[in-house]
Amino acid sequence: MAGFEKSDGEARPPRSGFLSRHVFRCGHKAVGLQYLWLALFSVFLGMSLSLLMRLHLAGIFSSHFLHWSDATPERYAALTVLHGSLMVFFVLTAAPQFGFGYYFLPLQIGSQNMAFPALSALSFWMTFVALVGMTASFFSTPEAGLLLWLCGAAIFSLAALLSALNFSVTVVDLRARGMILARLPLTVWSWFITAILSLLIFSILLASCALLLSDCFAGTRFFGLAPAASADVARRTLPAVWQRWFWFFAQAEVYVAMLPCFGIVSHLLSVFSRKPVWKERMAVLAFCGVGLFGFCVWGYHMFSRGLNPNSPLVFSLLASSLGIPAAFLIASWLGTLWNAKPQLTTSMLFALGFVSLFLSGGMTGIFLSRAELADAAITNDFVTGHFHLVMGVAATFAVLAGLFFWFPKMFGRKLNERLGKIHFWLTFAGVYCVFMPMHWIGLLERGSGSAPASLALDTNGATGLREFITAATLVTVAAQLLFLANFVWSLFGSRKISLKNPWRGTTLEWFVSSPPAETNFQQEPAVYRGAYEFGSPFAGEDFIPQHLAPELVAKYR
Amino acid sequence: MPGPSVLDELELILADIRGGGGGQPPDRGDGGGDGGGNNKRPSHGGPPARRYSTAIVFAMISILMFFMAMVAAFLVLRTTSSLWVKFHVPRILWANTAVLILSSVTLEAAKKRLAENNTPQFERLWWLTTTLGFLFLAGQLVAWRILVGEGVYVGSTLASGFFYVFTAAHGAHLLGGLGALVYGAVRRPDPSRLSRAAIADVVSYYWHFMDGLWLFLLAMLYFGS
Repeated sequence: MAGFEKSDGEARPPRSGFLSRHVFRCGHKAVGLQYLWLALFSVFLGMSLSLLMRLHLAGIFSSHFLHWSDATPERYAALTVLHGSLMVFFVLTAAPQFGFGYYFLPLQIGSQNMAFPALSALSFWMTFVALVGMTASFFSTPEAGLLLWLCGAAIFSLAALLSALNFSVTVVDLRARGMILARLPLTVWSWFITAILSLLIFSILLASCALLLSDCFAGTRFFGLAPAASADVARRTLPAVWQRWFWFFAQAEVYVAMLPCFGIVSHLLSVFSRKPVWKERMAVLAFCGVGLFGFCVWGYHMFSRGLNPNSPLVFSLLASSLGIPAAFLIASWLGTLWNAKPQLTTSMLFALGFVSLFLSGGMTGIFLSRAELADAAITNDFVTGHFHLVMGVAATFAVLAGLFFWFPKMFGRKLNERLGKIHFWLTFAGVYCVFMPMHWIGLLERGSGSAPASLALDTNGATGLREFITAATLVTVAAQLLFLANFVWSLFGSRKISLKNPWRGTTLEWFVSSPPAETNFQQEPAVYRGAYEFGSPFAGEDFIPQHLAPELVAKYR
Repeated sequence: MPGPSVLDELELILADIRGGGGGQPPDRGDGGGDGGGNNKRPSHGGPPARRYSTAIVFAMISILMFFMAMVAAFLVLRTTSSLWVKFHVPRILWANTAVLILSSVTLEAAKKRLAENNTPQFERLWWLTTTLGFLFLAGQLVAWRILVGEGVYVGSTLASGFFYVFTAAHGAHLLGGLGALVYGAVRRPDPSRLSRAAIADVVSYYWHFMDGLWLFLLAMLYFGS
């Protein structure tokens, strides 16, 4: 019996105290929701920051912006750092992995809670503290701000490590009877693989932060914050050390952020196409492949940093090879969709949008993996456009897809479909309008960089594109208000319908109440088949749940 | 929206059936059912005690990565930095190392006594291990004092910085292990939930890992300088 407190027998005394009941909640669903709220707050804060950036670039409100803060380049850099930190740490890592993972991992494997419930609460509150620290860093002086940011990053790393430990042990030890690895839903696979990778990479970030903090506080010189009297050579080599350490973590981190999104999208495409995942095992191997390759490509951020001259070739090769597992994944998604009659719910639209964004963003990645191109032919705008499409927006779409999918289970209500679809189309068009032109600007600017002044036309083209991007940003950000309205109204205004399985899914979470009870299941479920048994007619439906015994299936067929 | 289907009725039927979803229980596979012989399940049902061993294995991998990142920095700076100055490891570290190795030996002896059901000896050896652990940490602090007395501070050279950082990080992790040792000695969790043998197993994995890690770090510092 993997983890079941029998409900008959003496009842446990209810936990006393306001704090332990409402704040430091160890129930996995509560922690998952807390993470989702954190991510929701962070994404809107991060979006406002990006709006500020855009407006500043466009020259609108510049004077207001500069009046409010000291008019230094550091202030703008701080804006970008906070935007990036919020989005990567507190949205992309928090929402798909911690938010949905904490909520649905135990449900999908048939367990009552995570392996170490107290750790769940601990890691959430540490993440919260990290968020406060990093946000506060923006409002401080550059020196204090940097230290605050580092401390925030260190605390976040520790929280992520604790969560990763919790997730891994839960998947290894707390699966229900019959839930062998081959029957795990792809969402669980992705959470599991992400957890294993996180155990490796967040330790590295923690170590790097510890060394850098030691430089700041204890007077060591690991990263070259040496007094001015030090030799010139030291100044040149040591900052590259920090870059290496940082990019070793950060590059692996972006794949870690994407993996849960792959899991969610693969799962949703199957559910809404009413077809099994095409080549499910290949998809799992592709998840592992992406994670593994992610470890090997950190050098492609440093093509122009004076590494060993042979290293760009190696990193280019490795980065291009990332296309292989990515291609397997795309093949699996397209294979699932092939010959299907997809139900185009909002959730499915967002999942399809993810595939589109990942594909187009990924294509430009192939260009960026070539060192000659990355150095010579493009500027940073190209890179910004690339990673926003492939990572930022794609992941957001995956999270929204998951939210529309699981909202009925979490809250017993449904998000409004019509409003959801309008929001989807506006956002989908909007993000392409915002980020695709950045690629063009990147090519234009570099192309005209060494050209004579008579090519002033090109520069004007870039300006026009920038204005277009700013306008598109305004429209897209405004469209998110539609989502906010939908979310708030559905949560508080709509009726509770408590439908158990509105999407006719096969996995275990769809057979408990909406929202699930404190202990999830009355008794330990038993699992008899994989998670993607769609298409075979059964009892008037077109799917067979994971937990129905074969005798019952035969009886009711 | 499809109304309630046969499946909802099936769930009601299933909810009545005690002992799982009706019919034959599924094949165990390698799933969360019976694991190996060391899978101690609490008698009234609850998360298996195996999760602590699994957790400590994952934690050791993570901690290893943490130290590897720092060791990698050590190795890179040693070969590329012009600021590198040779560092001399204080003599007392060898005594400390002997103490730590001895504590691993006593811990293994304690486990053997427990397996033989010799509880008094087990407890004695357990406390001995704990004491030796504290002795090791005290010795590390003495090493620091010696260095400070010689004027070698954390910021003096790159190598000394690494020495302090390595020993501090290792010491902090060892302190956690000491906490677990003290917990194992002092608190007696419900034996049906978590047996002493399981606790001893988990703590010993971690302790031996810390031992091995220290040997590795010492070798780095000694040969690396």
